[in-house]
Amino acid sequence: MTVPLRSSAQVPSERLEEIISGEGRIEELSDSELGSEDEYEDMGTATPEEQANIAYLECVRIPIHEDLQTSTSKTQDETLKVILPFLEGNPNEFTLNSHGISQLQRKKHVLYLEDALDDYPGGFAMMDASRPWIIYWALQGLTALGEDISEHQRRTAHTFSLAQHPDGGFGGGYGQLPHLACSYAATLSLATAGGEATYGSINRKTMWHFLGRMKQADGGFTMCQGGEEDIRGAFCAMVLLSLLNLPLELPNDSPARQQGLTTFTDNLGDWVSKCQSWDGGISAAPGNEAHGAYAFCGLGCLSILGAPKETLNKYLDIPLLVHWMSSRQCTPEGGYNGRTNKLVDGCYSHWVGGCWSLVEAATTTGIWNRAALGRYILAAAQDKKGGLRDKPGKRSDAYHTCYNLAGLSAAQHRYVYDEGINKGLGEVGLGAPFRWKAEGLYEEDTMWDASDVVGKIHPVFVIPFRAVYECRRYFEDKEGF
Amino acid sequence: MSLQLIRSFIANIFLSPFAFLRIILLRLRKGFTYTSEYTMPPPKFYHDDEAWKDVEPLPQDDGGMHPLAAIAYTEEYSEAMGYLRAVMASNEFSERVLGLTEHIISMNPAHYTVWLYRAKTISELGKPLQDEIEWLNPTALKHLKNYQIWHHRQTIIDALGSPEGEAEFVSQMLEKDEKNYHVWSYRQWLVKRFDLFDNLEELQWTESMIDADVRNNSAWNHRYYLVIGGREGHAPSEEVTKREIEYTKEAIRKASQNQSPWNYLKGILRAAQLPKSTIKSFATEFADLEAPDDVYSSHALDLLADIYAEEENNKESAEKALDLLATRYDPIRANYWNYRKGLLSQSEVAA
Repeated sequence: MTVPLRSSAQVPSERLEEIISGEGRIEELSDSELGSEDEYEDMGTATPEEQANIAYLECVRIPIHEDLQTSTSKTQDETLKVILPFLEGNPNEFTLNSHGISQLQRKKHVLYLEDALDDYPGGFAMMDASRPWIIYWALQGLTALGEDISEHQRRTAHTFSLAQHPDGGFGGGYGQLPHLACSYAATLSLATAGGEATYGSINRKTMWHFLGRMKQADGGFTMCQGGEEDIRGAFCAMVLLSLLNLPLELPNDSPARQQGLTTFTDNLGDWVSKCQSWDGGISAAPGNEAHGAYAFCGLGCLSILGAPKETLNKYLDIPLLVHWMSSRQCTPEGGYNGRTNKLVDGCYSHWVGGCWSLVEAATTTGIWNRAALGRYILAAAQDKKGGLRDKPGKRSDAYHTCYNLAGLSAAQHRYVYDEGINKGLGEVGLGAPFRWKAEGLYEEDTMWDASDVVGKIHPVFVIPFRAVYECRRYFEDKEGF
Repeated sequence: MSLQLIRSFIANIFLSPFAFLRIILLRLRKGFTYTSEYTMPPPKFYHDDEAWKDVEPLPQDDGGMHPLAAIAYTEEYSEAMGYLRAVMASNEFSERVLGLTEHIISMNPAHYTVWLYRAKTISELGKPLQDEIEWLNPTALKHLKNYQIWHHRQTIIDALGSPEGEAEFVSQMLEKDEKNYHVWSYRQWLVKRFDLFDNLEELQWTESMIDADVRNNSAWNHRYYLVIGGREGHAPSEEVTKREIEYTKEAIRKASQNQSPWNYLKGILRAAQLPKSTIKSFATEFADLEAPDDVYSSHALDLLADIYAEEENNKESAEKALDLLATRYDPIRANYWNYRKGLLSQSEVAA
């Protein structure tokens, strides 16, 4: 047996010297393919902020060293080397907030997302089926940054009117087959854009039939006809049923009816339950590996099915799930990874970070480290050129921008499930998600200033609260389809 | 610009390889001209093709307003899509449709509509499925993180009814990306579809993947699926349980701060309905409350906290283990460890 040795963890003063000399760090950055286009200058001696950051990072390191190197540990070591300078210092030369961390670069991110809504050259044909996503990520990111997006309202409605399929649901664009992911992104975009004409552009009756075709006898949903069945389908379908206030009975032409099912929610909780894996996380489909994004889909689905306190505890082993979610927070990085022994990635700020509000509504509050997540997002995930990213060395994109900001919102705000709110809304038919409210800001040991705080985001639908409640209200007031 | 450079992992969470494309294509957008470094054949058009002269393409209709995030399609892509919409509208399933889908897939492999229509065409025409798999192989190797390709493969292999050659293909894919979620999920589908649970080679292969990188959680997940997870809730036999415990202990001894085998061990015990205390002495090899300076695994401390909590009158030791985690061996999760401490007193009240 090889007994692993406990490391003589590098003492802070040594790391400080590295910073002070500065040279090593600059080489690390410039000779890698990572971030090669950015230029960083010698920062001279360590500032008090840097010294504080370095001391903090030493504190949260796990002081255990392992000798065995494998592909996983090598990748992790190399990645950390690229990330650390951003957590220690300020290679982007952003203005620092009062905690010595980069300020939220609001204006840059707004410009970046506005640009994402603009035209793309022909070389972007490969994202032809993902355009609903790009629009959703950009609109959602903009509202999180506090932007008024009403100027995009008419074009949003028009864009998705082209992608709506005559047989129900939305595709990626004109003439594309309906798909649950596209329908999800389209509907959230339309709800965010708001306005009665926008809501009215959604054909709910054909959507209901489309969802009926996706429902499977085992309780889950396929993403499209003849397509894969996974937990994204279960989540997206529930979002659509709830937000659009659709009937829960399966349409007569739903194939699942032939298998004896009568409603959309039949066998659904049990199916999600089967997706909880041996280590506590949630996977794409029964038997697959636990994964952060699928965990959010599973929890989101159950949080629409009923009050989290009931549904989560009924269908999941919560202590095991919390153990797994907690383990996703990387140290010393502070951001989340998506699977055991994988790398930190800014998008899990939402996929895992966003799970906490749902789980805390079923257990108790104060289980996770919000400050560390905020630190990762502000210090490491912001791109110098605008937009947010997976990690230093990667380019920003609309996807990572949207989900880093959503994660930041989850860290900054307290989202609470309250049976007492929104009386008269969602009294029948998947009404649980209309019981959420933001109950002030998280203010202990924060890493952000007031100007770094992003907007409130509905923890299940991941669009503004206003959009959620107005959209559902509109469809509740509507008679028939 | 190499498509093998697929890295940006989360693209697959929803639709296909978007994020990595974004990375690559942003460069183009920022001023590079689209003089591709792909060795691309010259553009292919249909309007002057004799074989297609009976088809009237359905052009994209953007209505009166300019859509958001609009793509200025190349003439080639735009025309091919026009012909696809036309054949889809007339429900045409033919050889030329197969050629058309191949052409569009080469320009946009994330186009689920085209993949679905291709699958339907193959089925309608009764094409030899083996040929389709052979066509698919290089495409799959080029586009590792693509939902459509894997689902298409699954559809074809399911219809073919034989997993022959698939294990080798999966291994080849994993050599390029050993934690690829789609590939592992596909492997689990193969095991279930062709009932390979008791296939010794499958277990040995999984073991070789763990040997190659004991921290590869995907490989541990596959092992669990083979041994327990895929078997409809049947508890493992005493012999299998013993074998798994011993195997996992060996793995932990190689790298004790690796969470995968610790989780696996707990999973095996749970499935076998054995108490966690079964491995108490093993855990204390890596963390002993009497020697708090010599902890070799925070996961051992975590497990010991659970074991002590289950013992009569040993909440204090459980607290001590959780304190060590919160203050010294895993402080980023201090809130979580303190929450676990809170649960200890709750269960005391309940008792």
